[in-house]
Amino acid sequence: MTQALATGAAAIARRIADVIDPVFALIDGWQQRMEARLAPEPEPRAADLDPAVAATVAAELDRPGTLITGAGFVAAPGYLADAPWHLAWWLSDGNPFRGVPARGIRRLDAVSDPDAESFRDYTTLEWWRVPERTGSRHLTGPYVDYLCTDDYTVTVTTPVTIDGDMVGLVGADMYVARLEQVLEPVLRDAGRTLTVVNASGRIVTSTDPHRATGALLRLDGLPDALAPLREAEAEGRVTAAVRLPDGADVVPCGDTSLALVAE
Amino acid sequence: MPHATARADAARAVVFSPLEGAGRAELVEQRLTDAIASGVLRDGERLPSEADLAKFLGVAPVTAREALVALRHKGLVRTRRGRDGGSFVTYDDDLSLRLTEERVRALSRIELRDLSLHYAAIAGMAAEVAADRASDDDLQSLVEIDARADLATPGGARRAVGRFQLEVAAISQSPRLVHEELRLQAETGALLWMCLREQEYRDRTREHRLDVIAAIRAADAASARRATTTCIGTAVEWLIDEKVRLEAALPPSIAHEEGSAP
Repeated sequence: MTQALATGAAAIARRIADVIDPVFALIDGWQQRMEARLAPEPEPRAADLDPAVAATVAAELDRPGTLITGAGFVAAPGYLADAPWHLAWWLSDGNPFRGVPARGIRRLDAVSDPDAESFRDYTTLEWWRVPERTGSRHLTGPYVDYLCTDDYTVTVTTPVTIDGDMVGLVGADMYVARLEQVLEPVLRDAGRTLTVVNASGRIVTSTDPHRATGALLRLDGLPDALAPLREAEAEGRVTAAVRLPDGADVVPCGDTSLALVAE
Repeated sequence: MPHATARADAARAVVFSPLEGAGRAELVEQRLTDAIASGVLRDGERLPSEADLAKFLGVAPVTAREALVALRHKGLVRTRRGRDGGSFVTYDDDLSLRLTEERVRALSRIELRDLSLHYAAIAGMAAEVAADRASDDDLQSLVEIDARADLATPGGARRAVGRFQLEVAAISQSPRLVHEELRLQAETGALLWMCLREQEYRDRTREHRLDVIAAIRAADAASARRATTTCIGTAVEWLIDEKVRLEAALPPSIAHEEGSAP
């Protein structure tokens, strides 16, 4: 019986990964295009690159039903000849939080002058730091994206590497509310309480409507059960399911770094 | 992603966030005056261009221009022409003191208390929720903000308070609390944290900050709220004492007239 339930949870965890995988595939596609484009460039320049990045991400940002709300390329410091610090990031102009429907894309205003007061070395931030360290994809968040959209967001970033050097990264933002919307049907009718958490144990969505998105799921042994998930993400491998002392199953959702907790 | 710029300096980001309500030049002028007088914008710092300022604050370019002209007349910015031109902040101790004093006198005690209550409601709730929702990484970022705080100057202490409060709101995971925190910082921060002029109060805010961090670490929501609202309460009581001092120093007719202005 327990075995059957665990199998059920595993199947649902797989389906959660299937919902998010297209976004990962999209970003992987951008990564390959960027690597192919940049590899032969003797002196890559932001001025040439930006229109290409915009064209690449615009198609997806404009697509009805897309999961993403922002996307782009961020250069490693010093990589681009004409822009030592460079973010080429575009946002979908719709903003559900303020009731603004989608209407085209706009560029993220970023401070790229290291002498400016508000300049921030982005290589110290989680969405850069982790992919740089691990050489692979990372999911940051959920977090409140407070400068641009005032919304609750997840950001996925993956390194762009040429001859073994990380020259930048590509990535995309997703609204958690939208993610919840697409995950809800996947979680329905399971017979157990199902909660999707990130590797820190933060709730993304739950079949228990009283479990708030953004709260930490506090279960005995959960932090320990999630610890390998953070490590495994680095290698792009999938960890095994873990049973907590109170009988809950913690099942990784593919290599998304999210986990399904079935109680 | 925009974290990249927002975390750099929350107090500064607030200065250039969109204005609520009708985009009037006086509001733009007030926002920038507050930021300059309280030391959030530094002496010699270049302001965004007219066009950028208009875009950030959500006002017409002509409104931004009008506000910059007014700031120039007040002696708060100077404009340089040419390739490296633009509007630059000129900070002057005496002028800043006078401007903030005018601000305090223009509001009644009732308004000052009400404003601090409103802010305490938002910041206190954010702290309460943050105590429940903070991960180890979140705690670490609060500790770092505190460690980087420059308590030697009013502006440094103000920036630290702004960053810390905004980070706490972000940790609450609530977009609306973050939004309100930003709005209230922009609207009332310069006034409310005027006590940071005094070293004693800079040290006291730090004590409160450490209390909030300890409470969040212990997942003690009630203590996190209490430490936050106590800190804000201390600040407003200083402000009211300051108002009494300022009014006592003025001839009665002027004090009355200024006190009744909106």
